[in-house]
Amino acid sequence: MIPLIVAFPIIMAFLTSILPALRREKFSKYLFLIGMLSSWIILPQIIKNLPFNEIVGNWSRISGIEVAVDNYNLPFIMAELILSAFVALYVYGNYYPKKIENKAYVLILLLHAGLLGAFISRDLFNYYIYMEIASVASFALVGISKEKGARRAAFKYAIFSLLASYIFILGIGIIYLKTGYLNLVLIKENLRMSREINVALTLAFTSLLLKSGIFPLHFWLPDAHSKADAPISALLSGLVVKAPAYGMILLTLTFPIGIFVQRTLLTLAFLSMFFGIAMAILQKNSERLLAYHTVSQMGYVLLGIALLNPLGAAYYALAHALFKGGLFLSVGTIAEHYNTRDLGKLSYRSSKPLAIAIILLSLAIGGISPFIGAFGKSKISEGLCGFLKYLLYLGGTGTLVSFTKLNYYLSKRKEKAEIPRKKTIIPLLLGILTLVGGIYLYSHFNILKDLTSIAIAFILFYLLKKLGVFEISTEAFIPEQFRSLGKEINAYMFLFTALLLLFLLNFL
Amino acid sequence: MINPELVGVMIILIGMYGLLTKENLIKIVLSINVISIGLVLFFIGVGYVEGADVPIMPREKVVDPLPATLMLTTLVVDVAITSLALALILKMRREEE
Repeated sequence: MIPLIVAFPIIMAFLTSILPALRREKFSKYLFLIGMLSSWIILPQIIKNLPFNEIVGNWSRISGIEVAVDNYNLPFIMAELILSAFVALYVYGNYYPKKIENKAYVLILLLHAGLLGAFISRDLFNYYIYMEIASVASFALVGISKEKGARRAAFKYAIFSLLASYIFILGIGIIYLKTGYLNLVLIKENLRMSREINVALTLAFTSLLLKSGIFPLHFWLPDAHSKADAPISALLSGLVVKAPAYGMILLTLTFPIGIFVQRTLLTLAFLSMFFGIAMAILQKNSERLLAYHTVSQMGYVLLGIALLNPLGAAYYALAHALFKGGLFLSVGTIAEHYNTRDLGKLSYRSSKPLAIAIILLSLAIGGISPFIGAFGKSKISEGLCGFLKYLLYLGGTGTLVSFTKLNYYLSKRKEKAEIPRKKTIIPLLLGILTLVGGIYLYSHFNILKDLTSIAIAFILFYLLKKLGVFEISTEAFIPEQFRSLGKEINAYMFLFTALLLLFLLNFL
Repeated sequence: MINPELVGVMIILIGMYGLLTKENLIKIVLSINVISIGLVLFFIGVGYVEGADVPIMPREKVVDPLPATLMLTTLVVDVAITSLALALILKMRREEE
């Protein structure tokens, strides 16, 4: 039953890809829509008998591949299904030019199938293969963007993501060598901790941190996510970075996590949170601002993982997928119609639905109470002691400052742009969904606290504006040598190697 | 004592050295390929059993077939990525001109 939710999109991807050879290209959009929405049919069956695990083909656990749906990965699967359905409706029709339409559909279907496959798998190698299907599709999707410099971003993304995968596989190889299994349940039963296992865990965690774009290994993320087309950015930021986070959850559920790893992850989570916000406040490009917020929000997800609170991390991932997907779709729609991504030239005045959508989604990402962001934050902050709780609160306020800036620029009156009705309705629906979902999952109102944090955010925004912080250009910080892509890759590779060595030496 | 796992890890390190020092984009893609070759050797070494036979017909003592099959999948990923990365390099060159 469970493998079917992956099987349909993969079959549809295959059928769509052979359509041009049969000269039936005009059917590709129908097959695409069937592939993207078919997984919903099986979902009620799976939810009815939760938790649910299954060995594909009814083999024994030792020789088969196990898949499962339980409380830990249900939020991920829901996030995947909801956001990919919205993106499918957004892209369906005439978003892509005729020449590349068929290929784009095949790639999005593969991305969808790969993510679902990664989220249901309970076998380390199977997880890697599906994550890789999704990643390869996303490199290509970044590469076909209209934006200038997208090829460069896609290349950098491909190299680092692939490096991370290979290091991860090396870690899996060591685990297989020591335990003799790839299935997580069997690994847990036969586990005896040793130095080799520690090395394997360090390799796996470092590579997953690189793949999920946590500071200081975030360098590929803002480029890749800001250069892609709007719906693709929504998928990348909302879902593709969650697959490695799910891998980390699987590892923390299977292996005993030492205090050193926990402290390291906690530190990285907070660093990522504040670095992402600081960089986002300085951005003048609308998509880059949102991309830096992904770095910051992945810090929250990592915080849940570091506190050994996988449920919190999973629900925060669901919340983030919904509001960040919606933000990328709405801001991207405006940017496309003004034909620029410069924040100073964009405005949502000419479209009411988009204005409402962006305000709703901004409140959701700031963690204001009936929205789904507040639910995610309340889940994360369980088991967080005093001092760190204030840091988390500070992070939320910082996010609000940055989104006050976004709304401030967008609400200025500028020349009109004609935005088609369909493209405005989909972000609005996502915005309403964050509100409804938040009320359904966690109906706590905390008006006083929310109003104070919004007021603090407004005051901080005003102060920062007076101080001229928004005039600082981040371009000036990029070294001259980074003009050459090769040099840039060398430098970032040095950073990654240094961090890997540091963790390895500390862990042995 | 030298064994395939150790050599595999050494080849991976050579690939990482390439990523650290080479500026040419094609050499960077090749370094990634070197890493993947090292990985394949590592996994084949993991499955190797001294004096064992080919795991085709049921025999008394065979090598572990699982790592070899896993590596087939990794090789496919590697081929896909290499062609994609080379295509991206071509596109970038064309954009620069």
